[in-house]
Amino acid sequence: MNIISLASRNVYRSGHRSLVTIIAMAFACAMMIVFATLMEGFVAGSERNIVSMNVGDIQIHDLGYRDDPDIYNSIVDSGTLASRIRKIGFTASERQFAFGLLASDQSSAGVLLRGIDLTFEHTVTQIDQHLMSGTWLDLADQHGVVIGKKLARLLDISLGDELIFVGQTADGYMANDAFHVRGILKTVSASIDNAGVYMSSEMLRELIALPEDAHEIVVMRKKRTSPLVIATEQVATLATEQLEVMNWQQLMPVISRFMETAQIQTFIMLLFTYIAVASVVLNAMLMSVFERINEFGIMKAIGVRPWQIVQLIYAETMIHTMLASVIGVVMGGAISWYLQLHGIDMSSIADGISFAGIALDPIWYAQLSTKSLVIPVLFLFAIAAIAVIYPAAKVALIRPLEAIHHR
Amino acid sequence: METIVELKNISKTYQQGEVEVKAVNDVSLSVNKGDFAVLCGPSGSGKTSILNLIGGLDEPSLGNVWLEGVNLATQTNAQLAEIRKNRIGFVFQAYNLIPVMTAYENAAFVLDLQGIKEKEIHQRVMQTLAEVGLVGLEHRRPDEMSGGQQQRVAIARAIVTRPAIVLADEPTANVDSHTAESLLDLMQKLNQQHGITFLFSTHDQHVIDRAQRIIQVQDGTIASDECRV
Repeated sequence: MNIISLASRNVYRSGHRSLVTIIAMAFACAMMIVFATLMEGFVAGSERNIVSMNVGDIQIHDLGYRDDPDIYNSIVDSGTLASRIRKIGFTASERQFAFGLLASDQSSAGVLLRGIDLTFEHTVTQIDQHLMSGTWLDLADQHGVVIGKKLARLLDISLGDELIFVGQTADGYMANDAFHVRGILKTVSASIDNAGVYMSSEMLRELIALPEDAHEIVVMRKKRTSPLVIATEQVATLATEQLEVMNWQQLMPVISRFMETAQIQTFIMLLFTYIAVASVVLNAMLMSVFERINEFGIMKAIGVRPWQIVQLIYAETMIHTMLASVIGVVMGGAISWYLQLHGIDMSSIADGISFAGIALDPIWYAQLSTKSLVIPVLFLFAIAAIAVIYPAAKVALIRPLEAIHHR
Repeated sequence: METIVELKNISKTYQQGEVEVKAVNDVSLSVNKGDFAVLCGPSGSGKTSILNLIGGLDEPSLGNVWLEGVNLATQTNAQLAEIRKNRIGFVFQAYNLIPVMTAYENAAFVLDLQGIKEKEIHQRVMQTLAEVGLVGLEHRRPDEMSGGQQQRVAIARAIVTRPAIVLADEPTANVDSHTAESLLDLMQKLNQQHGITFLFSTHDQHVIDRAQRIIQVQDGTIASDECRV
């Protein structure tokens, strides 16, 4: 018995019902692909915001700095350490920080000045490519700064406007200077958006009278696939006991756990959506089977075995599922591809929303991958196979005579 | 005379709600090779129940059915399916062809289940379709054929496997008298030329008139068993 041929004819014969079933399955499959790619995009975007915009893979601080971010808790001889880290195959850049007050013509705000090494910062983060407006820092323009977008809004300033900083130097005097806005950043994180002011290390060192040391060394793996834990251990071997070496997952455990569970959340969502699909498949197959129960009775009477009837019903379901998968992948893939390019503009509801200190990008992009296409399809096949157990078993177990006289 | 089917003290009781209905009551009967026999009687007399018991589609409440010496009561469902596939041909009142298959495919279906090679299937199906007068209609689906043509396909499906017996339940009930006569001509020819054993369940006088053996069933028992030859 050519089961595939017979099954495909039966699918074609019940054209209207098959179409409704296939459309329902395809729609669910497409939606799950879109959901999976959006979740993947969200995780990737969050990781990008955390790792590539600010935190990096690994950070080194003076042992007490994270609890007490005091100007004096600096990494002694940070330049030498950074250079040793680079020698063992990582990229590294030093940063200095200073708290203070920043004032514009209109307003003032508490800020954290972030001095960055313009030679190496671009090897550890992509913050220089994350400008909403203006241009990135330039050694030739030492008084030009780049600030967070909310801080710009708060101070009511735009590109070129003047700012006055007042703070404290490392030797206990008052630090103050005038700067002008070179650039305004896109959303990075709550702390940077609200209080971040970037300038060159040289400028900040001079301003706070900290000629050599740094408060933070940011380290990145050159190969993204190498294990983070091992990389952290390698970097830690170069640090003294006075220093604290932590990777971003240790620095931001809530975000790290959220990202780890994002896949589970996707699975749970897949499961719930597909339970609805299962009821559609079950209903369609029950209707299809009971409508033809007399036919199955005849088949059994002339010698078709119960197992062959189960195979036939499964073949019909798999044909439905296969067609639905193709349509679902095309539909879902196309929508996801569009969302990967253009994203969903959530600025009216999500602008300014942050999660565990990480600002959500107001444009939510999808990230299309083989995994996000394959998993929803595999789920669809599994759910369809489970949903059809009951009708298949029902027909397999019914006595031929009972089936023949079924009306 | 070789016995194909033997029924010994068969009874069949059905439960209808709280009422027990005795459809077959202590029937003993044998069908011989080459018989062209009818079970006749009014509706509800038990003739179709006897046919179902012989075909292994139903189990007797009491007694035993032997088909070519095999006691059907000792067979598993899978073994019964094998017996039906290889040794019994069924012709039903409502034709009961598989609607998505052509005449050729319906006739070839059981041979395919038997695992016979395609070349032999083709040869046997074409020969059988020629015997039942369906040459040129082999690619038609059931909904493209008349009732008489569909019943011819059903007969072809029943005989193409060269079964020990063909069980035909009211085969002429759904066709006009002219078509009924031509179907009976066909089955009689198959019986006479190829020695195929036919057992009918019917109350159609056309069928009864053609039978060599008339088994009168009444209230679940054999009222008479008359042989005309």
